[in-house]
Amino acid sequence: MSTKTAINPRGKGASRTMSKEFKQSILGLAMVLPSFAILLIVVIIPIVQSFVMSLSNGEGGYDLSRYAYLFTDKGMRSNIIFTLRITAITCVLVLLVSYSLAIYMRFNQGPVVDLIRKTYMIPLFIPGVIATYGLINLLGNHGWMARMLEVIGVELPRIIFDEKGIIIANLWFNIPFTTMLLSSALSAIPSSVIESAKDVGVGRFTLFTKFILPLSYKTFMVAVTFVFMGVIGSFTAPFLIGANSPQMLGVSMQQVFSVFQEREQAAAIAFFSFLLCSVLGAFYIRSMTVEEKGKV
Amino acid sequence: MQLSIRELAKRYKTGDGVSGINIEIEKGELVTLLGPSGCGKTTVLRSIGGFLEPDSGDILIEGQSVIQLPPEKRPTSMVFQSYNLWSHMSVYDNLAFGLKIRKMPKAEIRAAVDEALKLVRLSGFEKKYPAELSGGQQQRVALARSLLLKPAVLLLDEPFSALDAKLRHEMREELREIQMKTGLTMVFVTHDQEEALSLSDRIIVMNHGRIEQIAKPQEIYDAPASLYVASFIGKMNFLEGVAEEGSIRIGKLRLPNDKDLRGRITAAVRPEDVQLGEQIVGDNILPGKIKQVMILGHYAEVTVELAEFGIIRAFQSKEVVQHMQSGQEVGVCISKAAGFPVEQAKAI
Repeated sequence: MSTKTAINPRGKGASRTMSKEFKQSILGLAMVLPSFAILLIVVIIPIVQSFVMSLSNGEGGYDLSRYAYLFTDKGMRSNIIFTLRITAITCVLVLLVSYSLAIYMRFNQGPVVDLIRKTYMIPLFIPGVIATYGLINLLGNHGWMARMLEVIGVELPRIIFDEKGIIIANLWFNIPFTTMLLSSALSAIPSSVIESAKDVGVGRFTLFTKFILPLSYKTFMVAVTFVFMGVIGSFTAPFLIGANSPQMLGVSMQQVFSVFQEREQAAAIAFFSFLLCSVLGAFYIRSMTVEEKGKV
Repeated sequence: MQLSIRELAKRYKTGDGVSGINIEIEKGELVTLLGPSGCGKTTVLRSIGGFLEPDSGDILIEGQSVIQLPPEKRPTSMVFQSYNLWSHMSVYDNLAFGLKIRKMPKAEIRAAVDEALKLVRLSGFEKKYPAELSGGQQQRVALARSLLLKPAVLLLDEPFSALDAKLRHEMREELREIQMKTGLTMVFVTHDQEEALSLSDRIIVMNHGRIEQIAKPQEIYDAPASLYVASFIGKMNFLEGVAEEGSIRIGKLRLPNDKDLRGRITAAVRPEDVQLGEQIVGDNILPGKIKQVMILGHYAEVTVELAEFGIIRAFQSKEVVQHMQSGQEVGVCISKAAGFPVEQAKAI
């Protein structure tokens, strides 16, 4: 009798705990389920469908001919190289400008800093199409800049309908958000850490390479990922101000899909773009994991 | 002189700051800047380190003016309040970094780091990251990092304030031991008077951006230069009195007038200079009534309400207070008091 009374309450308690844990698990799953469903419908299924479609050779069979075409066709090859070059140049320039702005705002004070702080976000509030139209008006062959330079006898080099135009547009679209990300990362580095580095005799360059960069590395990687993925998949600016050839992959895909009506080939381009982004994504996740291990 | 500060002044937009700061520190001295928050002690320390540009004045280290030099060029090193270890570097890298910048050979760096870790009792912690260390360990690494640079002057900005009382006490002892071993000149900032009294060769008491007194700890305690210092260091009773030729009169009490003051004064009396007795009437006795007896380990603090002068506190031995109780009438004697012009009380 006594044994019974001793065991029963514990058993009850354990089952109560179990059921609570079970309920919590169900609740957790229920909360994750909607976002997973959206991910499944909007991302995973289309990717799988595109991949399957891209394997179709148009003769009822499945092979890698669509992918082979990407690398054997001269036009497509130059499109890929062009896209990667634009993306790389944009990433470097955006990070260079944004880091400079963020560092300047973090370690300086005064009216110039206030002005930058108040204005650098403005491009984020201007729709892409309008900004691109503005750039055409400003930098086009007969734009304001060309007319103004003509007065002093200088001819504006070709910017619009050239890779320079796409890069300038990419800078306009990407610098504000990247600067915002990096500014917030830099403001999270305590001044005292910078002071203690100076205290041991660190100069400006070493301060950046050994302290500011490593301490804002995570955000730096997020910024690189965002800029890379945004630029590699960009469409509006390359479509409106890019040259006819070579083209960015997004524009090329649209042409193949709409003009040539080759859905399978367009799917191969889409899946290839996804693979390029995945490489960067994998690199990003790997570097985050390595850093976490190093910290704790 | 190892460190000379001459007519240093710094004014902030808020109106706070320091002015007329003149300090001379000998080689191997541990001098503490003591005062409440906002008194200007950190301003002086940061000016020495080069983290703050003073409005005027000069700072000389080993006879050379450093006022124009940036922090990285000054022969100083600072231990910060919040440790400031670099979270992305291991303990070894934190310590070795400054030496690498100085282009010291690897083998020498290794040996120096090992020795520094031994000095702060953290041998074997080289591979750990700051996040894996306790507060005390982090502060010891920060101290070792500064010691390794062999600065002409080591600056310590409330380095133990984030630690618990026991650890703070241990770190104090360790710091003193290290200072004795290395013979480093140190400037220590704290608002903790106990820390200042136990650590320092000399204490600089600051108030409202000015120096109130520079003296050895015992002198600061026994002979405060102003009513402010008297009130800030240790426990003190303040009684209104009148200074005449040769004596200070507090009711029926007569005490020596060492400073030859005249007129109304405030007398500062240490609780240990107050004696309590059963005799309540007499020439040098103030009558009072015990309000409270608090046993504080090996001694007791007795609060007495004096008829004319309000509350006075006395430290008594446990034996003396054995038969004392609240409400009991006692006679109060004072053996020593420091008189200050009554105007100083208004200025505090």
